[in-house]
Amino acid sequence: MRTETNDLRGHSGAGFPAFALRLDGVVKEYGRAGRAVRALDGVSVGIERGSFTAVMGPSGSGKSTFLHCAAGLDKPSGGSVFLGDTDLGAMDETRLTELRRGRIGFVFQAFNLIPALSVRQNVELPLRLAGERLDPAWLDEVLARVGLAGRAAHRPAELSGGQQQRVAIARALITRPDVVFGDEPTGALDTMTAREILSLLRSCVDETGRTVVMVTHDPVAASYADTVLFLADGRIADRMQAPTADRVADRMTHLGAWA
Amino acid sequence: MLRYALQTLRARKGGFAGAFLALFCAAALVTACGILLETGLRGTVATERYAGAPVIVGGDQNVHQVTARRKGDRTKRKEKAKPLGERVLLPAGTAARLAALPGVRAALPEITFPAYAVTPGGRIVPGVDGKPSYGHAWTSAPLTPFVLTEGAAPAGADEVVVDRELARRAGLRPGAELTVQSTDAPRTYRVTGVAAPSGGDLRQQSSLFFSDAEAERLSGRTGLVAAVGVLPEPGVPVPELAARVGKALDGTGAQVVTGGDRGPVEFLDAAKARIKLVSMGGAIGGTSLLVAVLVVVGTFALSIQQRHRELALLRAVAATPRQVRRLIGREALIVGLLAGVLGSLAGLPVAHWLHGRFVAFRAIPETLGVTVGVFPFFGAVGAALLGAWAAARISARRAARIRPAEALAEAAVEQRTAAWGRVGAGAAFLAGGAVLLVVLSSLRSEPAATPVTFLSVVVLAVAVSLLGPLIVRGAVALLGIPLRASRVGGHLATANARAHTKRLSAAVTPLALLIGMACTVFFVPTTTGAAATAQARAGSTADWVVGSAGPGVPSQAADRLRRVPGVSAVTEVVRTTVRVGLAKYPAQGVSADGLTRTWDPGVTAGGLDGFDPQSVALSELAADDLGKKPGDRLKLTLGDGAEAELTVAAVYERGLGFGDLTMSHELVRGHVDNPLASSVLVKTAGEGRPGRAELQQALGGLPGVAVLDRDQVEDLRAEVQQSNAEVNYVAMGLIIAFTAIAVVNTLAMSVSDRAREFALLQLVGTTRRQVMGMLRIEAALVVLVAAALGTAIAFAVLTAFSIGMTGSASPSVDGRMYAGVLCFASLLAFLATLVPGRLALAGRPADVIGSRR
Repeated sequence: MRTETNDLRGHSGAGFPAFALRLDGVVKEYGRAGRAVRALDGVSVGIERGSFTAVMGPSGSGKSTFLHCAAGLDKPSGGSVFLGDTDLGAMDETRLTELRRGRIGFVFQAFNLIPALSVRQNVELPLRLAGERLDPAWLDEVLARVGLAGRAAHRPAELSGGQQQRVAIARALITRPDVVFGDEPTGALDTMTAREILSLLRSCVDETGRTVVMVTHDPVAASYADTVLFLADGRIADRMQAPTADRVADRMTHLGAWA
Repeated sequence: MLRYALQTLRARKGGFAGAFLALFCAAALVTACGILLETGLRGTVATERYAGAPVIVGGDQNVHQVTARRKGDRTKRKEKAKPLGERVLLPAGTAARLAALPGVRAALPEITFPAYAVTPGGRIVPGVDGKPSYGHAWTSAPLTPFVLTEGAAPAGADEVVVDRELARRAGLRPGAELTVQSTDAPRTYRVTGVAAPSGGDLRQQSSLFFSDAEAERLSGRTGLVAAVGVLPEPGVPVPELAARVGKALDGTGAQVVTGGDRGPVEFLDAAKARIKLVSMGGAIGGTSLLVAVLVVVGTFALSIQQRHRELALLRAVAATPRQVRRLIGREALIVGLLAGVLGSLAGLPVAHWLHGRFVAFRAIPETLGVTVGVFPFFGAVGAALLGAWAAARISARRAARIRPAEALAEAAVEQRTAAWGRVGAGAAFLAGGAVLLVVLSSLRSEPAATPVTFLSVVVLAVAVSLLGPLIVRGAVALLGIPLRASRVGGHLATANARAHTKRLSAAVTPLALLIGMACTVFFVPTTTGAAATAQARAGSTADWVVGSAGPGVPSQAADRLRRVPGVSAVTEVVRTTVRVGLAKYPAQGVSADGLTRTWDPGVTAGGLDGFDPQSVALSELAADDLGKKPGDRLKLTLGDGAEAELTVAAVYERGLGFGDLTMSHELVRGHVDNPLASSVLVKTAGEGRPGRAELQQALGGLPGVAVLDRDQVEDLRAEVQQSNAEVNYVAMGLIIAFTAIAVVNTLAMSVSDRAREFALLQLVGTTRRQVMGMLRIEAALVVLVAAALGTAIAFAVLTAFSIGMTGSASPSVDGRMYAGVLCFASLLAFLATLVPGRLALAGRPADVIGSRR
């Protein structure tokens, strides 16, 4: 782990193209000075382009905060976050929003969709709000990829939980983002459906070269990733390449013991 | 963006129903008030009596004042005119001058005075439909035109012609004897004929026609006429004739009117009614608009709180804060447009209904018909849009502040940090309210005070709505202690109240506004009424009061009473209004003789001894305004436009019950339309002083005149106040109803959103009964806090009003009415909480929890 950090420092500086996302000494504190809670305590990590990364850790380890800071939903108290070459720290809320809708995709655990809008409208939402032209062929392709061709006119309430997550993935992909973030995207699904969703995310990485970062607490979900980052007490505690569910679960048990 | 706004609206109809309803009602009220306003400004009063005379000449009904203001090196001259309270008469010679003009067939002088038929039993016959009855000279019959249907014209001094409707009602035929109570002692005439207008019976007045000499005698105004009607020769166009007449009268100040302008000359009270309509329309319309904005901001804020997660998601995925603001703005504008258009259409019947009520309460004459133009409709749509826009702007500020990361949070948690901007705005409104109260406490006339009164209530309610969360937090801390006694319901309710202070304060605000507004509406009239009654009671030292069921008490009554042994003073009272400069004051004329024995107005300076026709006494209010003290000379314009310069004899404190200026009866009676006394005060003294029976006997056969004791007089006074208050009740009742709708709306909205919470409570073992118990306690909490706040607002406003109007901080509150207001508010709050609560509990808890929102 330490080597990892030093490694990164060695290559630091703008224009390091191999990383889609890079966090550099990110600190996030909540609450007022004096009673502050340190949710992230100097996290530095680089996520390679075209990789599938899972972020794991026990409750309170800072994995949600990690995601918020990495995705520009929240501003770190210290350190910096780079999306490609772009420093997120220098942006105001409007520019962050524009960055999120253009270069970042989101899949949340639940409540991903605007209930009033149809599947197609939900998927189009980022493009429409950005005022960009829609490419119907691309929309159809994305819907077909997530297996929702022919359901474009449905309302979210008419879909199953798994189908709703597919809509969310389609929306995340529509802008061809640099990074797709998932926050427990299978947390509210049954095992079978969860597996389908994870395979879908995997195929996004393998077939279209997207970068996916997913926070999860499920070792099986993590096993679909190329790399697993383990967070504990706001720091990166470990890193595992080519994970299997058993090894992840084993590692988690140890982490849980420290926490 | 517009498409998304539309789609959100379609999908979330329930959430917007509240805002829609509030804006709809506001638009309807604004339209109705706009129509009344327009009627007041542009409404035509149809002439009835002068329908047959195309050109009418009347006196100049205004006092004029030219103010010259120097602005740089230019002087700006501004002429202001204010209407007088009584009819301004013309010299009788005017008719002869006009008759000589080319193209004039006839110029007929009109004399008008009160004249009532009396039944053989001594009862006074009112005019048609309870309206007044007037006497005229037969010469002026062609002005309507009245033509004889039976019998002959009156020639002798003892002959009279009555109109057909009155003849039918009173059973009169030519040859019959008829006693008439006019401005003098009643006198018996012989009916020589029955006349009817060619256009059908008049509906606003009954008419009696006398011979010219008798009419002039009865009018009591020798050499003066009320109006002159000009009839053209055949083929002479009316505008040309009017121009000729105008030229002939140039410099006399007489006004020449034709067509629809003749109505106001005939019906002087129409001018007053117009002013009333304008001020009332403005007050109701303005208040309802402010209430609408307050209510709609509340419902919008609530609906945004309920859409918190959705908006956070939008923010996370794609929308900039600006776009979220725009989305909410568009939604609001669509709702506003829809509600505005539909509401303004609904306002039309409301306007007609209001007009009908006002006519029924005699606040405005029937002749002032409803005028409907396009402006009120556009105004209402604009107002609804403005209200929605303002509401959206205010609540969108909060929505745009939603942090996108909240989309990822498990549950929507209300932010606990106090928004300092909100607290600051609340403090500013509170300060604004305080300033208004100070202003209100210095306003001494009702027309000026009324709009400020309601504005103060609304501004204070806005302060309450802004400071609501803070107030509620304090109240919950206080009320939570006794509530712990209820182990389940009370515990849950206080926990909820503590965690959701914003939701609770959203429910408290409209209820507090309702209670505050209702108390103010109900207790403003009782406050002035109680003060006036108290002053009148303290100031009147007479033993008996003689009143009349007809036009008034003739002077013969006073003469006869003065001759009764043991009667020490008899005071005749006539009421009128005068203007000093442009300022209007209610005034009375009283017999100077023995005045101090029947009237004790609480003289603070000078004295009433030696009060004569050259004297005037002022209330402290008038003396302050005019800067006069005893011994000063005061120039004033009497009701009929006559100028007088009088010496201030005294200053008194009890102005409310009697009027601000007091002059001698002798002076005033010559300058009013109805010279009969409105009441006669009688003081008796000595051993064996006469009682009621003796006095009544002395009055003998005077029709409709009765001796009343002091309690009866107060009852009569109360009745008059009641009919004035009714108009206010109707108008402000609409605003109260509107606020009530808002209360139901807000409460129902906030409860029905909690189905998931209730389901969860049930799943962890709370029974339905306990959930309902919790809701009951929450509703009680809302009612208690709202009652305290609403009462505080009303009390503050009424106290300020009372200081201004009566000079002392003594708001008069009717306990039963107050209890009624509180009961009504509680009933509303409980119904609007418990019914949606019951519905939200209807589903199986597991299904509710499982369902996606």
